[in-house]
Amino acid sequence: MNLKISALDYVHEVQNGNISAEDFIGKTLEQIKNVDDKLHAFLSVNQDALNQARQIDKKIKSGDKVGSCFGMPISIKDNMCIKDSKTTCASKMLENFVAPYDATVITKLKQQDAIFIGKVNLDEFAMGLTTEFSAYGASKNPWNTDFVPGGSSGGSAVSVSAFECSMSLGSDTGGSVRNPASFCSVVGYKPTYGLISRYGLISYANSIEQIGPLSRTVKDTAFMLNMIAGIDPNDNTTIDNKNEDYLSGIDSGIEGKKIGIIKEMVTEGTDPAVLSATNDAIAKLESLGAICEEISIDMVKYSVAAYYTITATEAGSNLARYDNLRYGYDFPLEGYEFNSYISKARRNFGPEVTRRMIIGGFVPSAGHAGKYFLKAMKVKSKLTKEINEAFKKYDFLIAPTVPILPFKLGEKINDPVALFLVDINTVTANLTGKPAISVPFSVSNGLPIGIQLFADSNNDKSLLQAAYALEQTVKLPEVPL
Amino acid sequence: MVSEEEIEKVSKLMKIDVDDHKEYVDKVQSMINYFDILDSAGVESEEISMQEISISTLREDKHIPFNEKLIEKLNNYKGTYVRAPKMSS
Repeated sequence: MNLKISALDYVHEVQNGNISAEDFIGKTLEQIKNVDDKLHAFLSVNQDALNQARQIDKKIKSGDKVGSCFGMPISIKDNMCIKDSKTTCASKMLENFVAPYDATVITKLKQQDAIFIGKVNLDEFAMGLTTEFSAYGASKNPWNTDFVPGGSSGGSAVSVSAFECSMSLGSDTGGSVRNPASFCSVVGYKPTYGLISRYGLISYANSIEQIGPLSRTVKDTAFMLNMIAGIDPNDNTTIDNKNEDYLSGIDSGIEGKKIGIIKEMVTEGTDPAVLSATNDAIAKLESLGAICEEISIDMVKYSVAAYYTITATEAGSNLARYDNLRYGYDFPLEGYEFNSYISKARRNFGPEVTRRMIIGGFVPSAGHAGKYFLKAMKVKSKLTKEINEAFKKYDFLIAPTVPILPFKLGEKINDPVALFLVDINTVTANLTGKPAISVPFSVSNGLPIGIQLFADSNNDKSLLQAAYALEQTVKLPEVPL
Repeated sequence: MVSEEEIEKVSKLMKIDVDDHKEYVDKVQSMINYFDILDSAGVESEEISMQEISISTLREDKHIPFNEKLIEKLNNYKGTYVRAPKMSS
């Protein structure tokens, strides 16, 4: 039994009767047992998974209609609600929270006979880019366990990379799918804002965050989009994708397409290995018939500051509900006055969440809003205009997903501004609502490098075609588990 | 440059109380100071773009029957009421 097969190959093998869902799920659980002590991707594992796989095998044998997933094991970032399962957001604040309903993506995948193999680790409330801010301990990079796996969807990327599932769902607010995908050598996708419903995703920064798949191949991501994308009456920011088939024509190629290389994302600060990989990717795209030219997007320089100002403001509002009255942990009321009780209860937030809540109170406050929040919103508007102008000339934009290689656990945790700058190449897609994908492209000194492609809004299908073309140009080494 | 006093005031308003106060203030200060880069973006005359959503596209405002299970998930409740601490001593 080969756990390393792609999600689509799994479907093919089960459909043809070469493997059973039960065997594959059994092997996947064994893999989790064997490697997860070391990697810590999972916060909880579905104890009923084998039984669910047997039910799907029974449906297949009896000729009943079976959903497109055929019992495929999918891991879910622990900030998405699965009914009657714990949803902790990797926070002590929600340690015992059991979701009373399914997120829309979960409902859709249940209809397709997916098996949720477990809930995976993240930075607390998705605030971070290493998983070191998880209240339950950091995940480790399967390529080298001394290094961070990226984040905040680090558990998702690790679980896909280490063959602990076939695919995963993460959420991307400023690169939280693409960054760990790049660090762990998997595909990570941030769709056009509104393409995937956020209903049941625990909110951090609603105006820019999106759920996105992490997978071993670009085709698998297209397959996942076919199942979860589209309008949802429970999320009025969703868009009608007219049931687009993202898999059809994925091998259309990129001949004659124009690609802009974003100058501000390939700078002196870019690691030489990342720079070399980027130049190599550009050369390969050109050899496939694409026309690549440098382009300047001036507002990129201010994008990280704008991003953190806007997201902290939204986080400050979203996290206000965690007062230990409506959601919380076991902490008795007796002996406390209202304000002191809430202040005390909020001590259960970790350091990064606490810092962002303080910032979220500060930057939009009277006397400071003009200097910070309003200016950040103006940068967002101007950045969007600049990107829209770029897409009048170019079909796609390209940059390294992260300007540096994965770094060691603990290396940057005490320097929040150094961590900010790791996001410089990813936040633009979120602030502008554009789709972007990280494609595994290279490995330098045993550490993965991903290349990022962007497209204009609602051009998700053509973006996947370009990503597929790039993916076909490389053969990467296997993860050294 | 944002002052310690300003950060402390906001923390209090946000009902956030931490043990290692100095460490939090220092880090928050360095994060907010980084945001000063926005001053050089030259966006003063820029309009903030807003996306209008028609009221007809909003979810129907209908009554959803009360879910007892949600109340059961609370730590401090009595009947159908959430128990909260006293507003003042």
